[in-house]
Amino acid sequence: MDWLKSILREKEDEVSDSRLEAFLKSIFIPKWNEFMEKEKEEIEKRVNAKELAVPNATKGKEYEAVLLSDCEGIAILKLEGLEQTGLSVQKSDTELRIQGVPNKAGTFPLTLRYKISAGESSFRSRIFELRIDPNPRDLWKDRPVPSDTQYSKADTECVYVKSGTSELEDGTPRKNMVAASKRGRSHAHDGKPRDDHYVVQYSKESEWYIMAVADGAGSAKFSREGSRIACETVKAYCEDALMRSEELEKNIACYSEDIKDKVREKVVGDGIYDILVKAALEANRAIEVEAQKQSRGVREYATTLLLAICKRFDFGWFVATFWVGDGAICLYDANAPTAQLLGVPDEGEYAGQTRFLTSPDIFSQDSFDAASVYKRLRIKIVEDFTALFLMTDGVSDPMFGTAAHLEDPSKWDALWENLIRNEENPINLENQNETTAEQLLKWLDFWSEGNHDDRTIAILS
Amino acid sequence: MRRLPVYILVDTSGSMRGEPIESVRVGLNDMLAMLRQDPYALETVWISVITFAREVRQLVPLTALDKLQMPRIEVAESGPTFTGQSLELLCQCYDKEVVTGSATQKGDWMPLLFLLTDGKPSDVQLYDKQVERVKSRAFGCIVACAAGPKAKVDPLRLLTMNVYSLDTLSGTSFKQFFSWVSTAIGQGGKSVGVRGGTDLPAPPAEVNIVV
Repeated sequence: MDWLKSILREKEDEVSDSRLEAFLKSIFIPKWNEFMEKEKEEIEKRVNAKELAVPNATKGKEYEAVLLSDCEGIAILKLEGLEQTGLSVQKSDTELRIQGVPNKAGTFPLTLRYKISAGESSFRSRIFELRIDPNPRDLWKDRPVPSDTQYSKADTECVYVKSGTSELEDGTPRKNMVAASKRGRSHAHDGKPRDDHYVVQYSKESEWYIMAVADGAGSAKFSREGSRIACETVKAYCEDALMRSEELEKNIACYSEDIKDKVREKVVGDGIYDILVKAALEANRAIEVEAQKQSRGVREYATTLLLAICKRFDFGWFVATFWVGDGAICLYDANAPTAQLLGVPDEGEYAGQTRFLTSPDIFSQDSFDAASVYKRLRIKIVEDFTALFLMTDGVSDPMFGTAAHLEDPSKWDALWENLIRNEENPINLENQNETTAEQLLKWLDFWSEGNHDDRTIAILS
Repeated sequence: MRRLPVYILVDTSGSMRGEPIESVRVGLNDMLAMLRQDPYALETVWISVITFAREVRQLVPLTALDKLQMPRIEVAESGPTFTGQSLELLCQCYDKEVVTGSATQKGDWMPLLFLLTDGKPSDVQLYDKQVERVKSRAFGCIVACAAGPKAKVDPLRLLTMNVYSLDTLSGTSFKQFFSWVSTAIGQGGKSVGVRGGTDLPAPPAEVNIVV
């Protein structure tokens, strides 16, 4: 202040402190007021910015949102309206944040009340709206299928098939089969039946394992019957054909001596074509017959079909498969580790697109493209394996997601771990027994967002 | 994640001013509220809104249903209805936003398209050309709504067989229409037809199918 006094003394002789103070006040207070007005305008603009919005929340899901990222200059700030929601406000020097886990759904008006300087007479305010959506998990309902529905099918099914009571002759443990199928949440919500189906069979006489899974098309009204007919027909056909397969088995043995030999491979391939493709053709015909009987189009019974037969020989295991549609058949060896996908899933560019056993481009009438159908066959000889998996896309989609992942052995390792070392419900696949089937069925209830199709899985292990 | 993309094209030309556009706003919000009660929709539906008058814009880019905060639809003062341009913008958005499946990525469900107009296209030549481009893209279903007495059905029939007409531009009509759209969307990811299209539910009384 002294330096100011000395400057002013050049103008005036005597500058009293009170006059000096009055002078300073007359200059700075208006300027200060102007400055504060601008500040307040700017802060109001910041708080009322159009872009400021409260993002939506979901009941039961962790929520965090920064409502105001710059609180500087605001003396008092509070947010009202969160009281009933389970969310809370966190204020720091710089930002105003909402966080927590909402405990109810609805639309909640929130009022931001603030004073820029503490001395302001009333609060300024801005109203926001917080929308808390219901959690999809809470919305899924389980409605029964109307009792008068034609072709009734149980919502869930599971089975354990032992191949024998004692160990094999050479002391190695037997491989057994377990299968489970469950109506998906989507069908349960709509009170619609399960469209998937499976069969697993071990023939004591021929010592062949026969496994099939089928997924009825979503919009085909009677596809649940289509999948059932497909499975039962191929099981019956294969069981019968494999009782009379000495020639084929001789060829398989011969092939096992030199699997690089293309001639021997072709002989086995043709023999398998004769059984599996004929089985599929029979299934297709059986569906046609039923459709005709009911005066309906075959399309209404559309279904995929994944079929595998398997037998243990002296030299190891022989597996043969036929595959139309999505889902997966995989020969998995945890020790190698290898995961051999025994075919190619039929998938289109868009979700839900696949081929069906009944699609005209598979078996059309009695003339079909034998070469392209042949390509749906696979044969494999391995010394041993951990598990042969057959599954519909209700399981392969959530577990793998893409075709690329289906080819990735580490993803199959992950699935195997998920099954046998599951935290809540480990499944005894390494040493199957009567409880394994129920465990597998329970496992099929896993939650996977957006994946609510019927789920079916069959495992030989 | 399998998404079901839904594109909604709304005529915002001057003639929609007043009760018509207010009914559309309410109808759309009701539709969104209905969808949010459907667990499948909450997990899979993504919505985009394109408005068209003289100016054509994508008011809402393809956004997940639970993240969506619907902005207020504004109406033009007066002027033409560039429906053709809206289809052109739709194709652009489709090509940019819709994900097709590959070995490494799960594809979207085939998108649904709903177009609402109370008049006829002012840009007829462009419209005719764009209709072909839209039809050459995969859609689960395409539904056109001719709202009110001045709406012309013939241009819409070029786009799709599913043309519905509302006799009036009233709140009730729009409410019924959007409620039905919500049901159609609800079925959209689930009942993929054997040939790939979506089966439409039967429309309500206020909505007449155009034969």
